[in-house]
Amino acid sequence: MEFISILINGLSLGGVYALIALGYTMVYGIAKMLNFAHGDIIMVGGYTIYVFFTMTGHPLLAIAAACVMCVVLGVVMEKLAYKPLRGASPLAVLITAIGVSYLLQSVAQMLYGSAPKTVIIANFGVVTVGSFSISIASLLILAASALIMTVLTLFIKFSKVGRAMIAVSEDRGAAQLMGVNVNGIITVTFLIGSFLAAVAGAFYLLKYPSISNTMGSMPGIKAFTAAVIGGIGSIPGAMLGGLLLGVIECLFNAFPAIAPYTDAIEFALLILLLLVRPNGILGKKRREKV
Amino acid sequence: MKNSKKILCLALAVVMLACAFVSCGNQGKKSGDSYTANNTTFVIGLSGPLTGGASQYGIAVENAAKLAVEEINANGGLFGIQFSLISYDDQHDPSRVATGYANMLEQGMQVSLGCVTSGPCAEFKALSKEDNVFFITPSGSNDEIPSESNGYQMCFADGNQGKAAALYVNENFAGKTIGVLYTSGDNYSEGIYNQFTENLNSSVTVVSASFTEGATDFSSQINTLKNCEFIFLPIYYTPASQFMIQANGAENNMKVYYGCDGLDGIDAIEGFDINSIPQEVSYLSHFNSAATEGASGEFVKKYTTKYGEAPSQFAAGAYDCVYAIYEAMKAIGEDKLSVTMSASDLCDLLTAQFDGDFTFSGATGTDMKWNRAETGYGYVEKAATKYVVKTAD
Repeated sequence: MEFISILINGLSLGGVYALIALGYTMVYGIAKMLNFAHGDIIMVGGYTIYVFFTMTGHPLLAIAAACVMCVVLGVVMEKLAYKPLRGASPLAVLITAIGVSYLLQSVAQMLYGSAPKTVIIANFGVVTVGSFSISIASLLILAASALIMTVLTLFIKFSKVGRAMIAVSEDRGAAQLMGVNVNGIITVTFLIGSFLAAVAGAFYLLKYPSISNTMGSMPGIKAFTAAVIGGIGSIPGAMLGGLLLGVIECLFNAFPAIAPYTDAIEFALLILLLLVRPNGILGKKRREKV
Repeated sequence: MKNSKKILCLALAVVMLACAFVSCGNQGKKSGDSYTANNTTFVIGLSGPLTGGASQYGIAVENAAKLAVEEINANGGLFGIQFSLISYDDQHDPSRVATGYANMLEQGMQVSLGCVTSGPCAEFKALSKEDNVFFITPSGSNDEIPSESNGYQMCFADGNQGKAAALYVNENFAGKTIGVLYTSGDNYSEGIYNQFTENLNSSVTVVSASFTEGATDFSSQINTLKNCEFIFLPIYYTPASQFMIQANGAENNMKVYYGCDGLDGIDAIEGFDINSIPQEVSYLSHFNSAATEGASGEFVKKYTTKYGEAPSQFAAGAYDCVYAIYEAMKAIGEDKLSVTMSASDLCDLLTAQFDGDFTFSGATGTDMKWNRAETGYGYVEKAATKYVVKTAD
């Protein structure tokens, strides 16, 4: 029975990872770049929640503010830092992304210091079923992330903008010839990615109520790992990879003897998987055009 | 052109060498004997952060040391000789210590409280060893600080907190099961943990859980420890607060959280309300700032009257350091002491006392001993007290 509670915990953590991984994978698929500042958007969301929550004491209002803040930040970041580099070498874009990441961390440190702060936005407690107990927050996160992922999938499959996103990711040049506004689509991608990061940040705070200026880096790297495991560029891959990673993490965490080494095991699994399937689980093998 | 350059180089080299010898000679001759020749009081030195981020520690230590010196002087000093305290602001920066140390020697320092914080104190240890200056630090808790024959601690060394905690557990939890949560791969935490388990009686059953630094998820550790009523937490306050919050959201039978000095400050984390934790939160300390009785209570009363706030464990340590020096000098005897004696001569007499049968009782404990013969270090031996930050709901 304990397995079920571990599974639910793992799936809810995986849901958080999946939401972040979606941001990575969509930006990679559409803008062909790795946005390493994505994890720090979570941090900005965390601090926004902290500021608004201490000001108003209203958790939902704080989360909404964080979503707005992150969306604005994501779009501004894309316009200021990445758009001028649209034609530049991938390395230049990569190093810019890392630079933006450090910039965000440093600004947060200047504003709020480096000491971690505790933010308890809500305490839902636990529900006990028979012999095992599950935290209600985990259940809520699981349900909410499942809902968000479903909506996102439907949006991409059936809306005009969503189909344009797929088109740009498959062949940017051809999409442009067909009249798709590529720059606009990239901005929308950053917007959606940042929104998902803000929501993920709120969920993360619900699970682990502490914020610091580097809080985004670990979940960011985990989510990136999840995106690569699932096959970077693939949206269902990011969801699958995130859920898988979350479950694996909670499963290993359940054994006291190996719990301290969970992170190492997760990254080792990534290496193993890439040896067997270099494109990730759902990644498509791309033909190199000569 | 070539030759003139060579000559210039040679000349510069000679000047440099000469300078080196001059400064060398100065230090060798002046140290100890001549600086103290004009002393009219016994001079105690103190280096600590009086400004900057760690200043609350330094100011507390200086205040308490001043209080002790004033009291001793008001009672007639030692054999009619008064004490004086000189302090230097090292700003918790090891690179400033050498200047301050030389400065204080020139002012006639004969004995010292070392530095307030561990980093500068490590620097102080090396300097004072060269000149053989006795020091006893109220709060520099790093294990290596009292490694030289002239250095002692009034606070528990980091590692010795494990032993003190084990003694507490042996006394109160014989035949019971307790839980421990520590940070694996962290010197401070693992050091305390290892010493704790080594010194534990076999009748106490231990359930251990660990995490790595930066961990956010404690659900596994909470699950492991959930049936232990007493949890020993030799970790820092930030992960400890996360552990407590998450344990609060899970089912468990934990009743008491007991940590070491790493938990000092847990009630001051922004956004963390310690009263939202139902368990008792306490940590091992050598001093209880809420004491009303005994030597600790008396010190709390005096300090609060003079400075308008309750003393910290740093202040209590400093107060005891001054009195320990005073008591040890008293035990040495009037005939062997003189107000102009050199720091080195006084150091030899004091170390003989501290390494011998000398015991001291003060605000931070009774019958303290410094057992260098056994450990090779100037670690203090005394009973730990439990400082309760918050009682159980």
